[in-house]
Amino acid sequence: MQRFTGTRVTRVEDPRILTGGGNYIDDRNPPGLGHAAFVRSPFAHARVHSIDTTAARAHPGVIAVFTGAELGPHIAPIVTQGPPGMSCPRFTCLATDKVRMVGDPVALVIAESRAVAEDACELVEVEYEELAGIGSIERALAPDGPRIWDDLDSNVLYEEAATYGDPDAAFAAAAHTINETFVQHRITNCPMETRGVIATYEPGRNHFTYMGTLQGTQMARFVISTALSLPATNVDVVLGDVGGSFGQKSSIGHEELAVCGAAKALAGRPIKWIEDRTENLSVGGQAREETVTAQVAFDADGRIRGLRLDMVLAGGAYPIASAPITTLVGTLARVLVPGAYDIADYSFRHRAVFTNKAPYVAYRGPWAIETWVRERVLDRIARELGLDPVEVRRRNLLAADAFPCKLPAGPTLAGITLRAALDKAERVADWAGFRAEQASERARRAVAQPGQPGQPGRVLGLGVVSFIEPAPGPPDYGPSIGFTLPPERATARLEVDGTLSVYTSQAPHGQGHETTLAQLAADELGVSMSAVRVIHSDSRTAPFSMMGTGGSRSATVASGSVIGVARAVRDQVAEIVAHMLEANPTDIEVVDGVARVKGSPDKAMPLAQVAMTAWLAPQYLPPGRNPGIEATFDFRAGDGGWTQSVHSCFVEVDPETGVVKVLRYVVVEDCGDVINPAIVEGQIRGGIAQGIGEVLYEHSAYDDDGTFKAGTFMDYLIPSSMEIPSIEIHHVDATVVTQEVNFRGVGEGGAIGAPAAVCSAVEDALSPWNAKVVEQYLPPSRVLELMGVIPVER
Amino acid sequence: MLSCADDNCKRLRRRGVRELSCRAQLRRACKAAAMKPPPFAYDAPETIDEALGLLDEHGDEAKVLAGGQSLIPLLSMRLARPARLVDIARIAELGQIFLNGSTRIGATVRQCAVERSAELRTANPLLGKAIPFIGHGPIRNRGTIGGSVAHADPAAELPAVMLLLEAEMVLRSASGGERTVPAAEFFEGFLTTAAQPQELLVELRLPAWLPGTGAGFQEIARRHGDFAIVGAGAVVQLDPGTGLVTDSRLAFTGVAGTPVRATEAERMLVGHEPTIAAIAEMAAVARAGLEPSGDVHASAAYRRHIAGVLTERVVKEAVDAAR
Repeated sequence: MQRFTGTRVTRVEDPRILTGGGNYIDDRNPPGLGHAAFVRSPFAHARVHSIDTTAARAHPGVIAVFTGAELGPHIAPIVTQGPPGMSCPRFTCLATDKVRMVGDPVALVIAESRAVAEDACELVEVEYEELAGIGSIERALAPDGPRIWDDLDSNVLYEEAATYGDPDAAFAAAAHTINETFVQHRITNCPMETRGVIATYEPGRNHFTYMGTLQGTQMARFVISTALSLPATNVDVVLGDVGGSFGQKSSIGHEELAVCGAAKALAGRPIKWIEDRTENLSVGGQAREETVTAQVAFDADGRIRGLRLDMVLAGGAYPIASAPITTLVGTLARVLVPGAYDIADYSFRHRAVFTNKAPYVAYRGPWAIETWVRERVLDRIARELGLDPVEVRRRNLLAADAFPCKLPAGPTLAGITLRAALDKAERVADWAGFRAEQASERARRAVAQPGQPGQPGRVLGLGVVSFIEPAPGPPDYGPSIGFTLPPERATARLEVDGTLSVYTSQAPHGQGHETTLAQLAADELGVSMSAVRVIHSDSRTAPFSMMGTGGSRSATVASGSVIGVARAVRDQVAEIVAHMLEANPTDIEVVDGVARVKGSPDKAMPLAQVAMTAWLAPQYLPPGRNPGIEATFDFRAGDGGWTQSVHSCFVEVDPETGVVKVLRYVVVEDCGDVINPAIVEGQIRGGIAQGIGEVLYEHSAYDDDGTFKAGTFMDYLIPSSMEIPSIEIHHVDATVVTQEVNFRGVGEGGAIGAPAAVCSAVEDALSPWNAKVVEQYLPPSRVLELMGVIPVER
Repeated sequence: MLSCADDNCKRLRRRGVRELSCRAQLRRACKAAAMKPPPFAYDAPETIDEALGLLDEHGDEAKVLAGGQSLIPLLSMRLARPARLVDIARIAELGQIFLNGSTRIGATVRQCAVERSAELRTANPLLGKAIPFIGHGPIRNRGTIGGSVAHADPAAELPAVMLLLEAEMVLRSASGGERTVPAAEFFEGFLTTAAQPQELLVELRLPAWLPGTGAGFQEIARRHGDFAIVGAGAVVQLDPGTGLVTDSRLAFTGVAGTPVRATEAERMLVGHEPTIAAIAEMAAVARAGLEPSGDVHASAAYRRHIAGVLTERVVKEAVDAAR
């Protein structure tokens, strides 16, 4: 029979989504719906002296207006949690005494329509007293500068430091050192569907229903129930289709909680809020703003001896509600920075600071700063020593026979194939051919005279980077980052018609789990994919998990749990059929939805008949067996767990305009076995598109005082299909870790590798100008500044 | 409430529009949710006279809606708040094109209609070269020639094209009848034109394209289809016998509050052979005459530099086309 796993099955989700049948927040309009809109701060930092809502309340069609003080009785202050030593300010979901970012919500209007709610928002008068704002890390750390939280004695919200091996000895012994500060700029996730919620409180049964757009259901239950002082079991979280997240929806924001408070106050009436695009770009959550000062000690052969890394993360004004992401990013970068390179002696200091900007949230590969800085450093070493950048990487990679071994911070490295990936990339990307072309173009440029007609020689560059990502990482990865997760559970029921319902704790928001998990379950049970339905994103039915979908885990853990649970169902089928057909359970196979005795094709029974018997005619079941066929399986991932990639990025720079064009992009990837190549490639391409966008187009720009400057898609540029080249994807042929569930995640790697590869390629193209790329954002004006064509203006 | 004393901002606030470089306007944009337009009255007249009557009655309370490619987003983001929209899309006589030596284009002719007309592209090669730079195909399907000119965004293509062509804008009002305004006097400031609130732009008159004349138009944008950081257009006429330049025009988008003609630089080429060196000198003068400002997309220095680069490119393109 047809095997689905490993094939390009078309997505189960697509017919409904592509024909407008999706079920997103704004598709739902339950009866009696009230529409929410927020009044927001135009200032980055200001005291709020008064809020006058009289005119707004009197506006026809307005149901209610809430200030922070008025919402207070209905919803508790937001409680953030983090590791010991983290400053956790208490704050309300509508600002009261002070606003701390442009777009900080100060009042909430509920009206009969969204248009009326927006009209009434304009009638709310807020008296502000502007304060000095903090739009940069330097200002946040200035000893006598403004404080964002009056009750904290500094703007530093968290600090940690660790040393591995003996970096001091490594620096003392090394032939060369470099010292450089690398700056990654702020960007935002830009999901196609913005944030949103429909919140309903039913006073009769003291029950709350949250229909939202999130990456999981259970964590939200606890956040909401704590805020509303309801038992967690009285809160249902039900997600529909979720139109992307990229990390932004991994926690509930101020606005959703404020809407919950309003819904509780307006008992019985569902309240909807859908974020507009300016709101999403300004306060929906932003990421990646980190600065790393790197001291590097290396030998004459290009091998790194030691690193001293000092990172500061600009965390925005408010910690997000449910996960300490501003501290976790530092932890992840500290643990992961060596990658598969032989870097044993290093120190890492991480500080997260408050700034007058949008909350810092997770973004696809939240720790990507470690790959970007490390790969920048490797390029710099190559340049200092006049070596080929790929050769420097080969010299620093751990030897093929070094595995298994441990990263200095703890996790086990096993199944690392980066050397094979580099060898394959060298062939398929044809670096040598490109280098020859680059040399000839440079030679033509060198002899061209200004004013002479004809092509003056193209400015070409190549960047090659290699990295590994925990996807989901080995069993000792969780303990080493202080974030251990329980096994992943799936449950399943063979329904009375013989179809299989599989319940997962994943909350897909674009990953295609309804497809991939159905492929696996269908193969394991022996049915067609149309006989499998994957049920998710509903706290009433989902197996318990605080995580939902995130961290590139589902390819391994959701797959393992679904394979396990489908096998358990098949085993029960075999037990029942063996009893009814008087055969041995081990001789029963299920093929194309029919259970049969191996070698005796006439002794067979369709699964519908097995299921109907199990549910409706238990007298035919083995003695003592309960009716029905249901199963639960808990999956623990095995060793390995690293997805690995080599990215080769080829660019051309227009030396007159600074415009960078990505000519070609080649990925060589080891993510183990592939469930659905089309989905894997889509994930990789999407991540790379975001990574290219991050370097060449996207910037959540603020002034030094926190004034926000990128609130529309005319100011915040995301790449379109015209900017992204076709991306070639190759897989490493030899998989060295072989286990039953050998699928690994690919959700984040594209976005981790691409910024490093693009920056590397641009720096390579500009090497005749001796340009150093230490800032990740490279718009055309920055490129001309690096070339010395125009003066630097900030 | 917020206020900004800058004259341009005052003018913009009166028109309900923001200037991205102005802090007060930026803040206005972030002050509250904005996805639905504020309330407005709507009229869809079917004749020019009916439209003029409405504009006469409502004055600056009314705003003309043509293709809606700028106005509708401004409404939805609550950055424009006219009390009344006068939708001129149903007025058939505004949608006509007349070709008879000179070219007359009705105000509501869609940009795509010009783009797809080989006859028009031949009759006016500059228009044919510039229009594909306007946004994306779906935008040109809706956007009108007159709408873009009347909106007068300094980063837009068509205002600069009108300047280069020395076109005339035909304005009509109920009380004042018809008047024509040369392009050089039409664009007064950022999103501001010589048209009075009671006046409707009904037609654009483009002079006949003379023999031996070539056009060039190019832009540098962050992404395909974006408003350009800087755009440039050139028109060059050569004497067929001597090959010397008899007319030379150069204009920029995105470097000031209006599209800008580089008159000093233009003159340098007239009477001379358009050599690469001469064009480079012209570019240096053009660049030096500009005072652009910086924004999130590019610094002022970048814009000035690009104006020079584009000058060389479009003048060469125009010279090649003229030969």
